Amino acid sequence: MAEDKGKRDSIGMSMKGGRTNNGFVQNEDILETDPDPGSPEDSPQHNAVDIFGPAEPDLKDVRPYAGMPKEVLFRFSGQARYRVPREALFWLTVASVLVLIVATIGIVAISPKCLDWWQAGPMYRIYPRSFKDSDKDGNGDLKGIQDKLDYITTLNIKTVWITSFYKSSLKDFRHGVEDFREIDPIFGTMKNFENLVAAIHDKGLKLIIDFIPNHTSDKHAWFQWSRNRTGKYTDYYIWHDCTRENGKTIPPNNWLSVYGNSSWHFDEVRNQCYFHQFMKEQPDLNFRNPDVQEEIKEIIQFWLSKGVDGFSFDAVQFLLEAKHLRDEAQVNKTQMPDTVTHYSELYHDFTTTQVGMHDIVRSFRQTMDRYSREPGRYRFMGTEAHGENIAKTMMYYGLPFIQEADFPFNSYLGKLDVPSGNSVFEVITSWMENMPEGKWPNWMTGGPDNDRLTSRLGKQYVNIMNMLVFTLPGTPITYYGEEIGMRNILATNLNETYDVDTLLSKSPMQWDNSSNAGFSEGNHTWLPTSSDYHTVNVDVQKTQPRSALKLYQELSLLHANELLLSRGWFCYLRNDNHSVVYTRELDGIDRVFVMVLNFGELSLLNLKEMISNIPTRVRIRLSTNSAYKGREIDTHAITLDKGEGLILEYNTRNLLHHQTAFQDRCFVSNRACYSSVLNILYSLC
Amino acid sequence: MEETSLRKRREDEKSIQSIEHKTTNLQKELGLFSGICIIVGTIIGSGIFISPKSVLSNMEAVGPCLIIWATCGILATLGALCFAELGTMITKSGGEYPYLMEAFGPVPAYLFSWTSLFVIKPSSFAIICLSFSEYVSAPFYSGCNPPQVVIKLLAAAAILLIITVNALSVRLGSYVQNVFTAAKMVIVVIIIISGLVLLAQGNTRNFENSFEGTKLSLGAIGLAFYNGLWAYDGWNQLNYITEELRNPFRNLPLAIIIGIPLVTGCYILMNVSYFTVMTATELLQSQAVAVTFGDRVLYPASWVVPLFVAFSTIGAANGTCFTAGRLVYVAGREGHMLKVLSYVSVKRLTPAPAIIFYGIIAIIYIIPGDINSLVNYFSFAAWLFYGLTIFGLIVMRFTRKELKRPIKVPIFIPILVTLLSMFLVLAPIISQPAWEYLYCVLFMLSGLIFYFLFVYCKFGWAQKISKPLTMHLQMLMEVVPPEEAPE
Repeated sequence: MAEDKGKRDSIGMSMKGGRTNNGFVQNEDILETDPDPGSPEDSPQHNAVDIFGPAEPDLKDVRPYAGMPKEVLFRFSGQARYRVPREALFWLTVASVLVLIVATIGIVAISPKCLDWWQAGPMYRIYPRSFKDSDKDGNGDLKGIQDKLDYITTLNIKTVWITSFYKSSLKDFRHGVEDFREIDPIFGTMKNFENLVAAIHDKGLKLIIDFIPNHTSDKHAWFQWSRNRTGKYTDYYIWHDCTRENGKTIPPNNWLSVYGNSSWHFDEVRNQCYFHQFMKEQPDLNFRNPDVQEEIKEIIQFWLSKGVDGFSFDAVQFLLEAKHLRDEAQVNKTQMPDTVTHYSELYHDFTTTQVGMHDIVRSFRQTMDRYSREPGRYRFMGTEAHGENIAKTMMYYGLPFIQEADFPFNSYLGKLDVPSGNSVFEVITSWMENMPEGKWPNWMTGGPDNDRLTSRLGKQYVNIMNMLVFTLPGTPITYYGEEIGMRNILATNLNETYDVDTLLSKSPMQWDNSSNAGFSEGNHTWLPTSSDYHTVNVDVQKTQPRSALKLYQELSLLHANELLLSRGWFCYLRNDNHSVVYTRELDGIDRVFVMVLNFGELSLLNLKEMISNIPTRVRIRLSTNSAYKGREIDTHAITLDKGEGLILEYNTRNLLHHQTAFQDRCFVSNRACYSSVLNILYSLC
Repeated sequence: MEETSLRKRREDEKSIQSIEHKTTNLQKELGLFSGICIIVGTIIGSGIFISPKSVLSNMEAVGPCLIIWATCGILATLGALCFAELGTMITKSGGEYPYLMEAFGPVPAYLFSWTSLFVIKPSSFAIICLSFSEYVSAPFYSGCNPPQVVIKLLAAAAILLIITVNALSVRLGSYVQNVFTAAKMVIVVIIIISGLVLLAQGNTRNFENSFEGTKLSLGAIGLAFYNGLWAYDGWNQLNYITEELRNPFRNLPLAIIIGIPLVTGCYILMNVSYFTVMTATELLQSQAVAVTFGDRVLYPASWVVPLFVAFSTIGAANGTCFTAGRLVYVAGREGHMLKVLSYVSVKRLTPAPAIIFYGIIAIIYIIPGDINSLVNYFSFAAWLFYGLTIFGLIVMRFTRKELKRPIKVPIFIPILVTLLSMFLVLAPIISQPAWEYLYCVLFMLSGLIFYFLFVYCKFGWAQKISKPLTMHLQMLMEVVPPEEAPE
């Protein structure tokens, strides 16, 4: 070998290739070129076979050998034992290309529409003033949210929903927007917002924001121009002549504002009344004016081009009012008209959900669609409709051929005051049964306008409510703090003069044991922190194996990893005053989840009665009482404590939605089946 | 004799990349223009369309980002010039392989071919095909990722199709390559022109204060260079066709001096185009930058971008088939691989065994879960071999003074490029040390076991296997050692 090497070194690469060969393949050459007359495979060919091969006629008695030239090769390669496999392999390759392409097209063709980001994971709704204070002024801000994104990712959240942060003079910072294109200084700057958007996207999260198109603040420049009748702004708001007698305004009709008293307010500058659905500081925009619609569209575009992934359109049912201004009917006909001052005392047939309102919302959708074309950048649209009945709420899902909201937010669970199996069941079924086919449900346990779960239902119902929304079909939506079971603050000694009742569920997020619950390093906070923050906070619950936070994380993880929960059928089995029982199942997966949730008092359940083929013992996948996790339970007699919930799991091939008895109790948004062999979902089933 | 046969092979293969394809028998048919086309066509991959953000993410501002792109272009030119000297001095095919052989002997050359043939080249072939199929199937799965099975089936189909085409006919392969290269250049030109138009219309918002927010840490700059130079990978491609160039001593350096700056120009102008419609943050967060650009600028014709990017990807995959085939061939010839791999199809005059071998390895790579990480960890090896080769150039200035050097670059250039390569090898390892680098090194060294068993010691039993194997494969595929007409 050394000799060989030396040879090569001296000859170098520029020499004839045949000589520089070394290694085992070279040996073939050497053998071939060895002058050994006894062997037919060398002498005639020798090293010069390539050059002299064609001139050598003596090829009669050759046998094939490694490295043979084409003259030799052609004598043998035509034999059937080489030709047939050669052609077979060739056609096999061609066939497999075709088969692969056809298979790919086939799989693509039968794939169901996949879950978009707003369907794939929970939303987390943040009231920005109370989430995290980064500048020690006692008010939460955008930078604070950015600092806590890591926490949000530990919850397996997909979408961050930040409620209104526009420049506003109202203390509540929600509804009276002074400039739709500005961030209120209390929350930071536009640069802070851009950084937050970038940081959210960097973590693979999405951001949706509130937008209240119905009205502005009376400090908004448009209103100032409008009350002075400046150019096109003259009709930006709803103005109407009204008379004044003895300093008292006589409004054009009996319409009432949501907060009570007449919804007309006399403006001395313009000497007319303007209409306000909410407070007099919040004049309603005139959506019958195309200029106003154009302005709103531009604002939507402004935020979409900032990278916002979607909007929650708030209070859209108030967008239009009847042009005829007729009085609305009283609920109690016998009541004296002068004494009708509460919003609930009228039927709002002329001030809410007017004809044309949905057209406006759909035009918002069209504006957003233009920004949804980029891959992976679908822009989500949700609507918040307060106090509407279920049929009107469902209208926001749009019509079969006209897209509107992706979903109207489902706040019915947030309005549940008394926990019971029946009432929870009613909320679930009323949504599922009224929802148009193929649409996507969602479930909110609370929000800034609701009391917190702990205060509304009781501490022992926090876990079960979280378990409920994570196991129902659709997008779970969590209001900040509900994952650790925060409670309302007490209404006493609030420094704020704004409507106190609406502030109770907006107390600072409880991060840890330090002062101000880790919310702010400042001396004071805009609302007091809840007194229970030493035990109810993120830091403590992170380390407790049985905390609400831990269960929330486990539920969220289960939701993310289990096709059963994200795409499966939902079949409800039974409800009574105490408990709700339902299953999640998917064709192609031979496992079923059974959820047994007790919203009432201690009760005993017999699952065997409800599902005939359920095994006698089933696994507990998750439980509100984490001690039970992973254990088995006897399905004849399941004892459930108050507020106890179980996710049971068992194997079966006999799925409920195939059984005629259950068919009208099962729902699925987008029908799909799972193939475990290919690990794909397909819709042909 | 093999040299001439090699030339014939080159002629066969060269036409794959030749823009002006003639017949397979013509020699020295590539002019300066073709040389430039090859450089531009090979270097511009699909990266600039999908994620030209690696530089920006390290610099965080538009101005420095463009400067880095330009500097990387200059560095790539310098590297290519060193390869021009090597290519005209040692006129053998196989990229770095013959240079390493000449400068350091067989072991580094063997390790290079071992690593390239078993990991770097087929895995990048597989990756390109995977990203092609991901790209093609993405529109059918808006909102989520296409299922793995779809991506893999389509990638396997693409690999099989490409190797079939290339094994069947050089002419067909070259035709495919030319069409896709043309498609790629069309979309590059579309993006650049529409960007310039937008710029002329006054969309200069994103270029104001373009140096604001620059991160000027040494580490960030280093990483930006590292990523930027990857976009220029392929600058040594012209070495594969040195021999086919007409008047190579003039055209080779000219093609490099014109071609690579042209690529640099394309890169900078495309970045400028992107910045006319996207802020730096938007560009960083776009999943496919050119598609975002198309949506904003070319609507309602925005579909042309994904279509042409898909063409560009499949063209890139087809192109890798060509160089890898050559390397297998050379290594086979030197006895570092099964000799049958260097054989040429009798009837079709294609390096069919090399291409099929390459395709089989690539298909094996697409089967397991995720090979992206594997490729990332092995990427340092590519710079290791570039650096070693160029260091070899310096070494040979002293050990091989007698060799004719028609092109002689100033000695500071190879020294600079060697230092740069050292930096590029060490930078990722130091900035993010991981055990995987060690595994990569171990894998590379494990090649030595085979080297000593089969190449150095030449065990008899190895030949008992390889000889009949070669013979039967020869007859099965109808391939023979490269022939050549007597000179």
